[in-house]
Amino acid sequence: MQTYTYLDNGAATRLDERVLEAMTPYFLEAYAVATSEFGYSLGIESKEALDVARASLAARLGASPEEFVFTSGDTESSNMALKGVALALGEKKGKHIIVSKIEDFPVLHSAQALERQGFRVTYLPVDGEGVVDLEALEKAIDRETFLVSIQHANQEIGTIQDIAAIGRVCRKKGVLFHTDATHTFTRVSIDVSDVPVDLMSVSAHTIHGPKGIGGLYVRKKTPIAKWMDGGFQEFDLRAGLENIPGAVGFARAADLVTDEENQRLTGMRDRILDRLLNEVPDTVLNGHRSSRVPQNANVSFHYVEGESITLHLDIRGFAVSTGSACFSRSLEGSHVIFGIGGDHERAHGSIRFTLGRFNTVEEVDQVISTTSEVVAQLRRISPLAPHEAPSEEAK
Amino acid sequence: MGDISIDCVGQNCPVPLVETRKALRKASPGDVVEVTGTHPSSKREIPMAAEAMGLEILDVVEDGERWTIRIRK
Repeated sequence: MQTYTYLDNGAATRLDERVLEAMTPYFLEAYAVATSEFGYSLGIESKEALDVARASLAARLGASPEEFVFTSGDTESSNMALKGVALALGEKKGKHIIVSKIEDFPVLHSAQALERQGFRVTYLPVDGEGVVDLEALEKAIDRETFLVSIQHANQEIGTIQDIAAIGRVCRKKGVLFHTDATHTFTRVSIDVSDVPVDLMSVSAHTIHGPKGIGGLYVRKKTPIAKWMDGGFQEFDLRAGLENIPGAVGFARAADLVTDEENQRLTGMRDRILDRLLNEVPDTVLNGHRSSRVPQNANVSFHYVEGESITLHLDIRGFAVSTGSACFSRSLEGSHVIFGIGGDHERAHGSIRFTLGRFNTVEEVDQVISTTSEVVAQLRRISPLAPHEAPSEEAK
Repeated sequence: MGDISIDCVGQNCPVPLVETRKALRKASPGDVVEVTGTHPSSKREIPMAAEAMGLEILDVVEDGERWTIRIRK
C-alpha cells in the first residue's frame, strides 16, 4: 500500500491519541451538561473539567480564566469579536473598522458583512512579504474607528505580524484590537499581559486537537455583546451547550505543543524553503523568510498551475494545498498572494506545505524531491514555460 | 462496475485530469476508463498521472484537436 504524507496541517490536523484519551471520559462517563455546585454530581464533574480546561488555555495566553470564552472554532471567535464589538458599541464611537487585506475569511467576511450593514471598513494593504505598515495603520485610524483586526500570522504565507507594535498603536489611538491567532496559538509565544491585544481568536484544529472547538480571549472590560441568543453559558457571552469533550481536548492539545516541537517544525520548514528555492528554478518565496510560523512553507512555481501540482503530488502520496482558483473553491486566485503584490500566475502556481507533529525529516525530503520532479514534468508540457525547442503545443 | 467514458471536450487543464481521477476512483480493478478531450496539455498530463498511479495506458488516439485516452484500472 502506498504511504501517504499529510502536509496540509494548516487546514486541519490529525488528532493526537493523547487528546482523544483525555476527551473520551467526557463522552462516555462525565457526559452531563455542566452545572453549578447546586446541581447533580455528574454535571459538577463536567463543570470542573470545563473550568480546568479554560484555566489551562487562558494561562497559555497569560490571561485569566474568565477572559477565555469557548466557541466552536476560530470562525465563530472572529465573528463574535467583530460583530460582538460592533453590536456592543453601536454608534457610540463611530462606524469604522480596519482589517488587513490578507485576513482569513472569518475576519474578512465579517468585515464585509458589517460593511453591508452600513459600517465603513478600511482594508489595509501589506508589503511584498505580507507585513502591515504601522504608519499606514496609524494614519487609517480616524475619529470613527472603534476596532482594528489584524491577524497574528497569515493562513497561507505564514507571515507573522508585530502584534505588540500594532496593539500599542491601537492603545495610543484608543481603539480596540482583535487578532486572529489561529495559526500561531502555542506555535508562537503570546502573552496578553505584555501584548496590548483586547480580543484574540484561537482554535484547536491546527494543533492536533479536535475540530469544532476554539476560543476567544476577551480582555476584561472589553465591550462585547452576545450575538447568538440562547442560554447563559460562557459568562453569558456565547449561548449553547458547552462542548466539554472538545474543551478538554483543546486544553490537552495545547499542553502537548512544546518549544522543542516548534523548533523541529522550524527546521523542517527551512529545509523545504531552502531546498525548493535553491533546487527548483523559477521558484519564489511567498511570505517573510524568517518572521513566519514554524509550520508554514509557501512558494510559487512559475509556468505551472497549483491544482496540477497538488493533483500530481496526491497521486504520488502527498497532501499539500494551493492558492490557485479551483482548489480554493472561489472563482479568484488567492487574495493573499494578490495582497502581497503577486499576479495571477504567482497565485495560481502557489503551493503551501504546512507541517505537523507527525511529519518527519524523511517525509520532508521525499516531498521536496517529488515536488521537484512533478514541477519539471509539468513544465515540459506547459505552453507557458520557456522550452529549448518549441513544444508540440507551442507550434 | 463496467467501463466508463468521460467527455472533457472544451475543458481546460486541470479539469480533464480531475474528471479522470474521479472516474478511476469509482472504477473497479480491470475496468477501462476512456476520456475524450481537446486541451493539449491534458493529453500529456493524463498519461503522466496514470503512469504515476501504476495504471496501464491502453492507447491515445488523436483525431485533429480531439484526443481519446484509454486507461485500465
